[in-house]
Amino acid sequence: MTTLRLIGVGGLLAYRALFNWTTPAMYVGTLLAGPTFQLLFFAYLGRQLGVADDGFFILGNAVLAASSACVFGGTMAVANERRYGTLGHVLLSPRSRTVIFWGRVLPYAGNGLLIAAFTLLMGTLMLGLRIPPAALPGIALALAAGSLACGFFGLTLGALGLRFRDVWVVSNVSAALLLLLTGVNVPRENLPPWMADIGQFLPITHAAEAARLLAAGHGLASAAPALGTELLVGAGYALLAAVLLRVFEAESRRRASLETR
Amino acid sequence: MDSEYAIEAEGLRRVYRTRTGWIRPRRETVEAVRGVDLTVRRGELFGLLGPNGAGKTTTIKMLNTLLIPTAGTARIRGFDVVRETREVRRRIGYVFGGDRGLYDRLSALDNLRYFAELYAVPAREQRHRIAELLELVGLTGRERERVEGYSRGMRQRLHIARGLLHRPEVLFLDEPSIGVDPVAARELRRTVADLAANGTTVLLTTHYMAEADELCDRIAVIADGRIQALGTPAQLRRRADGRRVVEVEAYGVPATALTALRDLPGVRETALEERGALQLLTVQSDAGVDVQGDVLRELAGVRLGRVNSREPTLEDAYVAIVNAA
Repeated sequence: MTTLRLIGVGGLLAYRALFNWTTPAMYVGTLLAGPTFQLLFFAYLGRQLGVADDGFFILGNAVLAASSACVFGGTMAVANERRYGTLGHVLLSPRSRTVIFWGRVLPYAGNGLLIAAFTLLMGTLMLGLRIPPAALPGIALALAAGSLACGFFGLTLGALGLRFRDVWVVSNVSAALLLLLTGVNVPRENLPPWMADIGQFLPITHAAEAARLLAAGHGLASAAPALGTELLVGAGYALLAAVLLRVFEAESRRRASLETR
Repeated sequence: MDSEYAIEAEGLRRVYRTRTGWIRPRRETVEAVRGVDLTVRRGELFGLLGPNGAGKTTTIKMLNTLLIPTAGTARIRGFDVVRETREVRRRIGYVFGGDRGLYDRLSALDNLRYFAELYAVPAREQRHRIAELLELVGLTGRERERVEGYSRGMRQRLHIARGLLHRPEVLFLDEPSIGVDPVAARELRRTVADLAANGTTVLLTTHYMAEADELCDRIAVIADGRIQALGTPAQLRRRADGRRVVEVEAYGVPATALTALRDLPGVRETALEERGALQLLTVQSDAGVDVQGDVLRELAGVRLGRVNSREPTLEDAYVAIVNAA
Protein backbone atom coordinates (compact mmCIF):
# COMPACT_ATOMS: atom_id res chain seq x y z
CA MET A 1 0.00 0.00 0.00
CA THR A 2 2.79 2.44 0.91
CA THR A 3 4.55 1.53 -2.33
CA LEU A 4 1.36 2.25 -4.27
CA ARG A 5 1.07 5.62 -2.50
CA LEU A 6 4.65 6.46 -3.41
CA ILE A 7 3.90 5.62 -7.04
CA GLY A 8 0.49 7.32 -7.17
CA VAL A 9 0.55 10.30 -4.79
CA GLY A 10 4.32 10.73 -4.97
CA GLY A 11 4.33 10.50 -8.77
CA LEU A 12 1.65 13.18 -9.13
CA LEU A 13 3.31 15.57 -6.69
CA ALA A 14 6.65 15.09 -8.42
CA TYR A 15 4.97 15.77 -11.78
CA ARG A 16 3.64 19.11 -10.51
CA ALA A 17 6.97 19.93 -8.91
CA LEU A 18 9.28 19.07 -11.77
CA PHE A 19 7.44 19.36 -15.11
CA ASN A 20 8.25 22.73 -16.68
CA TRP A 21 5.29 22.92 -19.01
CA THR A 22 2.34 22.85 -16.63
CA THR A 23 1.28 26.48 -17.09
CA PRO A 24 -1.68 26.81 -19.52
CA ALA A 25 0.31 28.84 -22.06
CA MET A 26 3.23 26.40 -22.12
CA TYR A 27 0.97 23.37 -22.12
CA VAL A 28 -1.25 24.55 -24.95
CA GLY A 29 1.57 26.05 -27.00
CA THR A 30 4.18 23.33 -26.60
CA LEU A 31 2.16 20.20 -26.16
CA LEU A 32 -1.10 20.76 -28.04
CA ALA A 33 -0.64 23.41 -30.75
CA GLY A 34 2.94 22.43 -31.71
CA PRO A 35 2.24 18.75 -32.46
CA THR A 36 -0.99 19.63 -34.33
CA PHE A 37 0.85 21.99 -36.67
CA GLN A 38 3.61 19.43 -37.07
CA LEU A 39 1.00 16.86 -38.09
CA LEU A 40 -0.44 19.22 -40.68
CA PHE A 41 3.03 20.04 -42.00
CA PHE A 42 3.95 16.42 -42.59
CA ALA A 43 0.49 15.52 -43.96
CA TYR A 44 0.61 18.29 -46.58
CA LEU A 45 4.24 17.51 -47.38
CA GLY A 46 3.25 13.85 -47.76
CA ARG A 47 0.44 14.79 -50.12
CA GLN A 48 2.82 16.94 -52.16
CA LEU A 49 5.45 14.23 -52.44
CA GLY A 50 3.01 11.33 -52.66
CA VAL A 51 4.80 9.45 -49.90
CA ALA A 52 1.76 8.16 -48.06
CA ASP A 53 -1.87 8.96 -47.36
CA ASP A 54 -3.17 11.28 -44.64
CA GLY A 55 -3.94 8.38 -42.31
CA PHE A 56 -0.26 7.42 -42.21
CA PHE A 57 0.75 10.88 -41.01
CA ILE A 58 -2.21 11.42 -38.69
CA LEU A 59 -1.59 8.20 -36.77
CA GLY A 60 2.19 8.56 -36.86
CA ASN A 61 2.12 12.11 -35.57
CA ALA A 62 -0.52 11.32 -32.94
CA VAL A 63 1.84 8.72 -31.50
CA LEU A 64 4.78 11.08 -31.88
CA ALA A 65 2.87 13.88 -30.11
CA ALA A 66 3.16 11.97 -26.84
CA SER A 67 6.94 11.88 -27.13
CA SER A 68 7.58 15.58 -26.34
CA ALA A 69 5.75 15.40 -23.02
CA CYS A 70 7.07 11.95 -22.18
CA VAL A 71 10.69 12.16 -23.30
CA PHE A 72 11.31 15.66 -21.96
CA GLY A 73 9.06 15.00 -18.95
CA GLY A 74 10.94 11.83 -18.08
CA THR A 75 14.19 13.76 -18.34
CA MET A 76 12.84 16.58 -16.17
CA ALA A 77 11.71 14.00 -13.59
CA VAL A 78 15.36 13.45 -12.71
CA ALA A 79 17.36 16.33 -14.15
CA ASN A 80 15.24 19.09 -12.58
CA GLU A 81 16.17 17.84 -9.13
CA ARG A 82 19.52 19.46 -9.83
CA ARG A 83 17.82 22.72 -10.75
CA TYR A 84 15.97 22.90 -7.43
CA GLY A 85 18.82 21.53 -5.32
CA THR A 86 16.54 18.77 -4.04
CA LEU A 87 18.54 15.80 -5.27
CA GLY A 88 20.32 15.29 -1.96
CA HIS A 89 17.02 15.08 -0.11
CA VAL A 90 15.66 12.55 -2.58
CA LEU A 91 18.82 10.45 -2.34
CA LEU A 92 18.52 10.50 1.46
CA SER A 93 15.16 8.79 1.21
CA PRO A 94 15.18 5.24 2.57
CA ARG A 95 12.63 4.25 -0.10
CA SER A 96 13.46 2.27 -3.24
CA ARG A 97 14.87 4.50 -5.97
CA THR A 98 13.25 2.32 -8.61
CA VAL A 99 9.79 2.83 -7.12
CA ILE A 100 10.33 6.58 -6.65
CA PHE A 101 11.41 7.16 -10.24
CA TRP A 102 9.19 4.64 -12.00
CA GLY A 103 6.26 6.23 -10.17
CA ARG A 104 7.26 9.58 -11.64
CA VAL A 105 6.89 8.26 -15.19
CA LEU A 106 3.20 7.36 -14.90
CA PRO A 107 1.77 10.93 -14.85
CA TYR A 108 3.93 11.79 -17.87
CA ALA A 109 2.65 8.72 -19.68
CA GLY A 110 -0.95 9.68 -18.81
CA ASN A 111 -0.29 13.19 -20.04
CA GLY A 112 1.28 11.82 -23.22
CA LEU A 113 -1.81 9.71 -23.86
CA LEU A 114 -4.06 12.78 -23.54
CA ILE A 115 -1.88 14.79 -25.91
CA ALA A 116 -1.75 11.96 -28.43
CA ALA A 117 -5.54 11.57 -28.29
CA PHE A 118 -5.99 15.32 -28.78
CA THR A 119 -3.61 15.35 -31.76
CA LEU A 120 -5.40 12.36 -33.29
CA LEU A 121 -8.75 14.10 -32.85
CA MET A 122 -7.49 17.32 -34.42
CA GLY A 123 -5.90 15.41 -37.29
CA THR A 124 -9.04 13.44 -38.06
CA LEU A 125 -11.26 16.55 -37.84
CA MET A 126 -9.01 18.80 -39.91
CA LEU A 127 -8.01 16.29 -42.57
CA GLY A 128 -11.25 14.29 -42.63
CA LEU A 129 -9.92 10.85 -41.71
CA ARG A 130 -12.52 8.24 -40.75
CA ILE A 131 -11.48 5.68 -38.17
CA PRO A 132 -13.79 2.70 -37.49
CA PRO A 133 -15.22 3.17 -33.96
CA ALA A 134 -14.39 -0.47 -33.18
CA ALA A 135 -10.70 0.35 -33.68
CA LEU A 136 -10.66 3.17 -31.11
CA PRO A 137 -10.04 1.10 -27.93
CA GLY A 138 -7.13 -0.66 -29.63
CA ILE A 139 -5.70 2.64 -30.87
CA ALA A 140 -6.00 4.07 -27.35
CA LEU A 141 -4.04 1.05 -26.14
CA ALA A 142 -1.35 1.68 -28.77
CA LEU A 143 -1.09 5.35 -27.78
CA ALA A 144 -0.86 4.37 -24.11
CA ALA A 145 1.86 1.81 -24.81
CA GLY A 146 3.82 4.37 -26.86
CA SER A 147 3.46 7.01 -24.13
CA LEU A 148 4.63 4.63 -21.43
CA ALA A 149 7.62 3.49 -23.48
CA CYS A 150 8.50 7.14 -24.19
CA GLY A 151 8.26 7.98 -20.49
CA PHE A 152 10.73 5.25 -19.56
CA PHE A 153 12.96 6.29 -22.46
CA GLY A 154 12.90 9.85 -21.04
CA LEU A 155 13.66 8.51 -17.58
CA THR A 156 16.72 6.75 -19.02
CA LEU A 157 17.88 10.07 -20.45
CA GLY A 158 17.12 11.73 -17.10
CA ALA A 159 19.26 9.13 -15.37
CA LEU A 160 22.11 10.19 -17.65
CA GLY A 161 21.49 13.65 -16.22
CA LEU A 162 22.82 12.38 -12.91
CA ARG A 163 26.17 11.83 -14.60
CA PHE A 164 26.26 14.44 -17.37
CA ARG A 165 25.30 18.04 -16.77
CA ASP A 166 24.20 18.77 -20.37
CA VAL A 167 21.52 16.11 -20.57
CA TRP A 168 19.14 18.41 -22.47
CA VAL A 169 21.40 18.10 -25.50
CA VAL A 170 20.82 14.35 -25.41
CA SER A 171 17.06 14.85 -25.04
CA ASN A 172 16.94 17.25 -28.01
CA VAL A 173 18.92 14.88 -30.22
CA SER A 174 16.77 11.96 -29.09
CA ALA A 175 13.57 13.83 -29.99
CA ALA A 176 14.97 14.42 -33.49
CA LEU A 177 15.94 10.76 -33.77
CA LEU A 178 12.43 9.67 -32.81
CA LEU A 179 11.11 11.83 -35.65
CA LEU A 180 13.55 10.29 -38.12
CA LEU A 181 13.97 6.65 -37.16
CA THR A 182 10.63 5.42 -35.84
CA GLY A 183 8.65 5.48 -39.08
CA VAL A 184 6.12 8.03 -37.85
CA ASN A 185 6.74 10.38 -40.76
CA VAL A 186 9.10 8.49 -43.05
CA PRO A 187 7.95 4.97 -43.96
CA ARG A 188 10.49 2.60 -42.41
CA GLU A 189 10.85 0.69 -45.70
CA ASN A 190 12.20 3.90 -47.23
CA LEU A 191 14.89 4.27 -44.57
CA PRO A 192 18.39 2.80 -44.94
CA PRO A 193 18.31 -0.63 -43.24
CA TRP A 194 20.62 0.42 -40.40
CA MET A 195 18.34 3.31 -39.54
CA ALA A 196 15.28 1.07 -39.61
CA ASP A 197 17.15 -1.40 -37.37
CA ILE A 198 17.89 1.31 -34.78
CA GLY A 199 14.23 2.33 -34.93
CA GLN A 200 13.26 -1.17 -33.78
CA PHE A 201 14.75 -0.36 -30.38
CA LEU A 202 13.21 3.08 -30.00
CA PRO A 203 9.86 3.84 -28.38
CA ILE A 204 6.79 4.63 -30.56
CA THR A 205 8.05 2.64 -33.59
CA HIS A 206 5.86 -0.34 -32.83
CA ALA A 207 3.04 1.72 -31.31
CA ALA A 208 2.71 3.65 -34.59
CA GLU A 209 2.71 0.37 -36.52
CA ALA A 210 -0.02 -1.07 -34.25
CA ALA A 211 -2.15 2.11 -34.47
CA ARG A 212 -1.99 2.06 -38.28
CA LEU A 213 -2.95 -1.61 -38.43
CA LEU A 214 -5.92 -0.98 -36.14
CA ALA A 215 -7.07 2.12 -38.03
CA ALA A 216 -6.89 0.16 -41.28
CA GLY A 217 -9.47 -2.25 -39.86
CA HIS A 218 -7.16 -5.09 -38.86
CA GLY A 219 -8.22 -6.55 -35.55
CA LEU A 220 -6.44 -6.33 -32.22
CA ALA A 221 -5.02 -9.79 -32.86
CA SER A 222 -3.06 -8.47 -35.86
CA ALA A 223 -1.78 -5.49 -33.88
CA ALA A 224 -0.95 -7.49 -30.77
CA PRO A 225 2.63 -8.43 -31.77
CA ALA A 226 3.50 -4.77 -32.45
CA LEU A 227 1.79 -3.70 -29.22
CA GLY A 228 3.66 -6.37 -27.27
CA THR A 229 6.97 -5.31 -28.80
CA GLU A 230 6.29 -1.67 -27.87
CA LEU A 231 5.64 -2.71 -24.27
CA LEU A 232 8.80 -4.82 -24.32
CA VAL A 233 10.82 -1.83 -25.55
CA GLY A 234 9.30 0.26 -22.74
CA ALA A 235 10.13 -2.41 -20.17
CA GLY A 236 13.70 -2.50 -21.49
CA TYR A 237 14.10 1.24 -20.95
CA ALA A 238 12.47 1.00 -17.51
CA LEU A 239 15.05 -1.58 -16.55
CA LEU A 240 17.90 0.40 -18.09
CA ALA A 241 16.80 3.55 -16.24
CA ALA A 242 16.68 1.67 -12.92
CA VAL A 243 20.19 0.26 -13.48
CA LEU A 244 21.62 3.65 -14.52
CA LEU A 245 20.04 5.41 -11.53
CA ARG A 246 21.56 2.83 -9.19
CA VAL A 247 24.98 2.95 -10.86
CA PHE A 248 25.16 6.76 -10.95
CA GLU A 249 23.97 7.11 -7.37
CA ALA A 250 26.64 4.67 -6.21
CA GLU A 251 29.20 6.54 -8.29
CA SER A 252 28.10 9.87 -6.81
CA ARG A 253 28.80 8.56 -3.30
CA ARG A 254 32.26 7.43 -4.35
CA ARG A 255 33.24 10.38 -6.53
CA ALA A 256 31.09 13.22 -5.18
CA SER A 257 29.80 13.72 -8.71
CA LEU A 258 26.37 15.09 -7.76
CA GLU A 259 25.36 18.45 -6.36
CA THR A 260 23.55 17.27 -3.29
CA ARG A 261 23.05 20.65 -1.67
CA MET B 1 21.25 -1.64 17.99
CA ASP B 2 21.43 0.39 21.16
CA SER B 3 24.69 2.26 21.14
CA GLU B 4 25.34 4.90 23.78
CA TYR B 5 26.41 7.19 20.98
CA ALA B 6 24.19 8.58 18.27
CA ILE B 7 27.16 9.44 16.05
CA GLU B 8 30.58 7.76 16.02
CA ALA B 9 33.37 8.54 13.59
CA GLU B 10 36.86 7.08 13.59
CA GLY B 11 39.66 8.21 11.33
CA LEU B 12 37.23 9.67 8.80
CA ARG B 13 39.01 10.83 5.64
CA ARG B 14 37.77 12.09 2.32
CA VAL B 15 39.81 12.83 -0.77
CA TYR B 16 38.30 14.54 -3.82
CA ARG B 17 39.85 13.90 -7.19
CA THR B 18 38.97 16.28 -10.00
CA ARG B 19 39.83 16.28 -13.67
CA THR B 20 39.50 19.33 -15.91
CA GLY B 21 40.12 19.59 -19.65
CA TRP B 22 39.95 16.92 -22.34
CA ILE B 23 43.04 17.29 -24.50
CA ARG B 24 45.46 17.82 -21.66
CA PRO B 25 43.50 16.77 -18.62
CA ARG B 26 44.63 18.30 -15.35
CA ARG B 27 44.09 16.15 -12.33
CA GLU B 28 43.88 17.52 -8.84
CA THR B 29 43.59 15.80 -5.51
CA VAL B 30 42.19 17.63 -2.50
CA GLU B 31 42.12 16.07 0.93
CA ALA B 32 39.04 17.72 2.43
CA VAL B 33 38.87 15.70 5.64
CA ARG B 34 42.06 14.26 7.09
CA GLY B 35 41.12 11.90 9.90
CA VAL B 36 38.20 13.06 11.99
CA ASP B 37 37.41 11.22 15.22
CA LEU B 38 34.31 12.21 17.14
CA THR B 39 31.49 10.78 19.19
CA VAL B 40 28.18 12.46 19.88
CA ARG B 41 26.02 11.16 22.70
CA ARG B 42 22.31 10.53 22.24
CA GLY B 43 20.35 13.74 22.81
CA GLU B 44 23.48 15.89 22.65
CA LEU B 45 23.58 19.14 20.70
CA PHE B 46 26.99 19.10 19.09
CA GLY B 47 28.51 21.99 17.17
CA LEU B 48 30.98 21.64 14.33
CA LEU B 49 32.64 24.98 13.67
CA GLY B 50 35.23 25.92 11.14
CA PRO B 51 36.08 28.34 8.35
CA ASN B 52 34.85 27.84 4.77
CA GLY B 53 36.52 24.82 3.20
CA ALA B 54 37.49 23.36 6.57
CA GLY B 55 35.66 20.08 5.91
CA LYS B 56 32.40 20.59 7.83
CA THR B 57 29.97 19.82 5.02
CA THR B 58 32.10 16.94 3.74
CA THR B 59 32.08 15.45 7.23
CA ILE B 60 28.30 15.78 7.44
CA LYS B 61 27.87 14.25 3.99
CA MET B 62 29.91 11.24 5.02
CA LEU B 63 27.89 10.88 8.20
CA ASN B 64 24.55 11.15 6.39
CA THR B 65 25.50 8.61 3.67
CA LEU B 66 25.73 11.03 0.73
CA LEU B 67 29.48 10.42 0.45
CA ILE B 68 31.58 7.34 1.06
CA PRO B 69 34.64 8.02 3.22
CA THR B 70 37.99 7.43 1.55
CA ALA B 71 39.13 5.91 4.83
CA GLY B 72 37.80 5.42 8.35
CA THR B 73 34.41 4.38 9.60
CA ALA B 74 31.28 6.09 10.88
CA ARG B 75 28.13 4.83 12.53
CA ILE B 76 24.78 6.46 13.22
CA ARG B 77 22.95 4.84 16.15
CA GLY B 78 25.28 1.88 15.62
CA PHE B 79 24.58 1.48 11.88
CA ASP B 80 27.46 1.75 9.45
CA VAL B 81 27.06 4.68 7.05
CA VAL B 82 28.54 2.78 4.11
CA ARG B 83 27.01 -0.68 4.46
CA GLU B 84 23.71 0.02 6.25
CA THR B 85 22.56 3.12 4.43
CA ARG B 86 18.85 2.35 4.57
CA GLU B 87 18.90 1.92 8.36
CA VAL B 88 20.92 5.12 8.73
CA ARG B 89 18.60 7.10 6.44
CA ARG B 90 15.54 6.05 8.41
CA ARG B 91 17.09 7.65 11.49
CA ILE B 92 18.50 10.91 10.20
CA GLY B 93 17.26 14.28 9.03
CA TYR B 94 19.33 16.73 7.01
CA VAL B 95 18.71 20.46 6.83
CA PHE B 96 20.94 22.94 5.07
CA GLY B 97 20.76 26.68 4.76
CA GLY B 98 20.08 28.76 1.67
CA ASP B 99 17.34 29.23 -0.87
CA ARG B 100 17.59 25.88 -2.64
CA GLY B 101 16.41 22.42 -1.67
CA LEU B 102 12.65 22.88 -2.02
CA TYR B 103 10.23 22.46 -4.92
CA ASP B 104 9.45 26.10 -5.73
CA ARG B 105 6.32 25.39 -7.75
CA LEU B 106 4.68 23.43 -4.97
CA SER B 107 3.10 24.84 -1.84
CA ALA B 108 4.74 24.22 1.53
CA LEU B 109 2.01 21.70 2.23
CA ASP B 110 2.70 19.76 -0.97
CA ASN B 111 6.46 19.90 -0.37
CA LEU B 112 5.87 18.30 3.02
CA ARG B 113 3.40 15.79 1.61
CA TYR B 114 5.91 14.69 -1.00
CA PHE B 115 8.80 14.36 1.42
CA ALA B 116 6.50 12.51 3.83
CA GLU B 117 6.07 9.92 1.07
CA LEU B 118 9.81 9.83 0.37
CA TYR B 119 10.67 9.46 4.05
CA ALA B 120 8.06 6.74 4.60
CA VAL B 121 5.82 8.62 7.05
CA PRO B 122 2.74 6.35 7.37
CA ALA B 123 -0.24 7.75 5.45
CA ARG B 124 -2.51 7.85 8.51
CA GLU B 125 0.05 10.01 10.39
CA GLN B 126 0.92 12.42 7.61
CA ARG B 127 -1.88 14.95 8.01
CA HIS B 128 -1.39 15.29 11.77
CA ARG B 129 2.41 15.33 11.56
CA ILE B 130 2.48 17.97 8.83
CA ALA B 131 0.03 20.21 10.73
CA GLU B 132 2.12 19.79 13.88
CA LEU B 133 5.33 20.77 12.08
CA LEU B 134 3.77 23.73 10.31
CA GLU B 135 2.68 24.95 13.72
CA LEU B 136 6.15 24.31 15.17
CA VAL B 137 7.90 26.38 12.50
CA GLY B 138 5.23 29.07 12.38
CA LEU B 139 3.99 28.48 8.84
CA THR B 140 0.39 27.63 9.71
CA GLY B 141 -1.89 29.75 7.52
CA ARG B 142 0.76 30.13 4.80
CA GLU B 143 1.06 26.43 3.94
CA ARG B 144 -0.99 26.62 0.74
CA GLU B 145 1.19 29.33 -0.83
CA ARG B 146 3.76 28.39 -3.42
CA VAL B 147 7.27 28.22 -2.00
CA GLU B 148 8.61 30.45 -4.81
CA GLY B 149 6.99 33.39 -2.99
CA TYR B 150 8.53 32.58 0.38
CA SER B 151 11.16 34.71 2.10
CA ARG B 152 14.46 33.08 3.00
CA GLY B 153 13.41 32.82 6.64
CA MET B 154 10.18 31.04 5.67
CA ARG B 155 12.09 28.69 3.41
CA GLN B 156 14.49 27.93 6.20
CA ARG B 157 11.65 27.11 8.55
CA LEU B 158 10.16 24.85 5.90
CA HIS B 159 13.56 23.12 5.55
CA ILE B 160 13.46 22.40 9.27
CA ALA B 161 9.91 21.04 9.07
CA ARG B 162 10.91 18.80 6.18
CA GLY B 163 13.93 17.52 8.09
CA LEU B 164 11.73 16.56 11.05
CA LEU B 165 8.89 14.85 9.16
CA HIS B 166 9.93 11.30 9.99
CA ARG B 167 10.94 12.12 13.58
CA PRO B 168 14.67 11.55 13.00
CA GLU B 169 16.77 10.49 15.95
CA VAL B 170 19.75 12.39 14.57
CA LEU B 171 19.41 15.75 12.87
CA PHE B 172 22.19 17.31 10.78
CA LEU B 173 21.85 21.08 10.54
CA ASP B 174 24.34 22.50 8.07
CA GLU B 175 24.47 26.28 8.52
CA PRO B 176 20.69 26.53 9.01
CA SER B 177 20.68 30.20 9.99
CA ILE B 178 22.69 31.49 7.03
CA GLY B 179 21.03 34.62 5.64
CA VAL B 180 18.18 34.49 8.14
CA ASP B 181 17.15 37.73 9.89
CA PRO B 182 17.84 38.06 13.64
CA VAL B 183 14.24 37.47 14.73
CA ALA B 184 13.89 34.35 12.56
CA ALA B 185 17.34 33.18 13.72
CA ARG B 186 16.23 33.47 17.33
CA GLU B 187 13.11 31.41 16.57
CA LEU B 188 15.30 28.86 14.82
CA ARG B 189 17.59 28.57 17.85
CA ARG B 190 14.59 28.06 20.10
CA THR B 191 13.30 25.29 17.83
CA VAL B 192 16.69 23.58 17.76
CA ALA B 193 17.05 23.82 21.53
CA ASP B 194 13.57 22.32 21.99
CA LEU B 195 14.43 19.44 19.69
CA ALA B 196 17.55 18.62 21.66
CA ALA B 197 15.64 18.96 24.93
CA ASN B 198 13.17 16.38 23.61
CA GLY B 199 15.91 13.85 22.89
CA THR B 200 16.87 14.50 19.26
CA THR B 201 20.61 14.39 18.69
CA VAL B 202 21.65 17.45 16.72
CA LEU B 203 24.88 18.03 14.84
CA LEU B 204 25.00 21.72 13.96
CA THR B 205 27.45 23.58 11.77
CA THR B 206 27.39 27.35 11.90
CA HIS B 207 29.54 30.41 11.40
CA TYR B 208 27.75 32.25 14.18
CA MET B 209 29.68 31.84 17.41
CA ALA B 210 26.90 33.26 19.57
CA GLU B 211 24.58 30.63 18.16
CA ALA B 212 27.03 27.83 18.92
CA ASP B 213 27.77 29.25 22.36
CA GLU B 214 24.09 29.47 23.24
CA LEU B 215 23.02 26.09 21.87
CA CYS B 216 25.79 23.54 21.90
CA ASP B 217 26.66 21.10 24.67
CA ARG B 218 30.02 20.53 23.02
CA ILE B 219 31.82 22.06 20.09
CA ALA B 220 34.49 20.73 17.76
CA VAL B 221 36.53 23.25 15.80
CA ILE B 222 37.60 21.84 12.46
CA ALA B 223 40.21 23.45 10.24
CA ASP B 224 42.33 22.08 7.44
CA GLY B 225 40.31 18.84 7.55
CA ARG B 226 41.19 18.01 11.14
CA ILE B 227 39.53 18.62 14.49
CA GLN B 228 41.71 21.21 16.18
CA ALA B 229 39.84 21.55 19.46
CA LEU B 230 36.93 19.81 21.14
CA GLY B 231 35.10 20.67 24.35
CA THR B 232 32.24 22.53 25.95
CA PRO B 233 31.87 26.21 24.98
CA ALA B 234 33.30 27.13 28.42
CA GLN B 235 36.32 24.87 27.87
CA LEU B 236 36.97 26.36 24.45
CA ARG B 237 36.60 29.90 25.76
CA ARG B 238 39.39 29.14 28.23
CA ARG B 239 41.68 28.75 25.20
CA ALA B 240 41.61 32.52 25.14
CA ASP B 241 42.08 32.91 28.88
CA GLY B 242 44.86 35.24 29.86
CA ARG B 243 44.15 37.41 26.83
CA ARG B 244 42.71 40.82 26.19
CA VAL B 245 40.97 41.95 23.01
CA VAL B 246 41.09 45.34 21.34
CA GLU B 247 38.48 45.95 18.66
CA VAL B 248 38.86 48.83 16.23
CA GLU B 249 36.40 49.94 13.56
CA ALA B 250 38.41 51.18 10.59
CA TYR B 251 38.19 52.06 6.91
CA GLY B 252 41.01 50.87 4.62
CA VAL B 253 43.57 49.15 6.87
CA PRO B 254 46.68 48.54 4.70
CA ALA B 255 48.30 45.10 4.66
CA THR B 256 51.55 46.60 5.98
CA ALA B 257 49.77 47.87 9.09
CA LEU B 258 48.36 44.40 9.73
CA THR B 259 51.82 42.86 9.51
CA ALA B 260 53.19 45.50 11.85
CA LEU B 261 50.37 44.83 14.33
CA ARG B 262 51.17 41.11 14.36
CA ASP B 263 54.77 41.91 15.24
CA LEU B 264 53.91 44.10 18.22
CA PRO B 265 55.14 42.75 21.58
CA GLY B 266 52.38 40.87 23.40
CA VAL B 267 50.10 40.50 20.37
CA ARG B 268 48.84 36.91 19.91
CA GLU B 269 46.29 37.13 17.10
CA THR B 270 44.93 39.64 14.65
CA ALA B 271 41.84 39.34 12.46
CA LEU B 272 40.28 41.73 9.97
CA GLU B 273 36.61 41.29 9.14
CA GLU B 274 35.05 43.15 6.21
CA ARG B 275 31.60 44.60 6.95
CA GLY B 276 30.77 46.47 3.79
CA ALA B 277 32.87 49.64 3.72
CA LEU B 278 33.69 49.17 7.40
CA GLN B 279 36.43 46.85 8.64
CA LEU B 280 36.49 45.37 12.12
CA LEU B 281 40.03 44.82 13.33
CA THR B 282 40.41 42.47 16.29
CA VAL B 283 43.74 42.27 18.12
CA GLN B 284 44.22 39.67 20.83
CA SER B 285 47.09 40.22 23.23
CA ASP B 286 48.42 38.90 26.54
CA ALA B 287 46.17 40.25 29.29
CA GLY B 288 49.11 41.86 31.09
CA VAL B 289 50.16 43.94 28.08
CA ASP B 290 48.22 47.06 27.10
CA VAL B 291 48.58 47.19 23.31
CA GLN B 292 45.82 49.70 22.58
CA GLY B 293 48.18 52.65 22.28
CA ASP B 294 50.57 50.73 20.02
CA VAL B 295 47.69 49.56 17.85
CA LEU B 296 46.39 53.09 17.35
CA ARG B 297 49.91 54.29 16.58
CA GLU B 298 50.30 51.65 13.83
CA LEU B 299 46.95 52.75 12.38
CA ALA B 300 47.95 56.40 12.17
CA GLY B 301 46.51 57.90 9.00
CA VAL B 302 43.72 55.30 8.76
CA ARG B 303 40.18 56.57 9.29
CA LEU B 304 38.92 55.01 12.51
CA GLY B 305 35.55 54.53 14.19
CA ARG B 306 34.86 53.10 17.61
CA VAL B 307 37.71 51.56 19.66
CA ASN B 308 36.84 49.02 22.32
CA SER B 309 38.80 46.87 24.78
CA ARG B 310 37.06 43.76 26.19
CA GLU B 311 37.31 40.22 27.62
CA PRO B 312 37.73 37.42 25.06
CA THR B 313 34.66 35.54 23.77
CA LEU B 314 34.17 32.12 22.20
CA GLU B 315 34.73 33.78 18.84
CA ASP B 316 38.17 34.98 19.94
CA ALA B 317 39.00 31.47 21.12
CA TYR B 318 37.79 30.13 17.78
CA VAL B 319 39.99 32.59 15.86
CA ALA B 320 42.98 31.60 17.98
CA ILE B 321 42.35 27.89 17.34
CA VAL B 322 41.84 28.32 13.60
CA ASN B 323 44.88 30.58 13.19
CA ALA B 324 47.01 28.07 15.04
CA ALA B 325 45.93 25.24 12.70
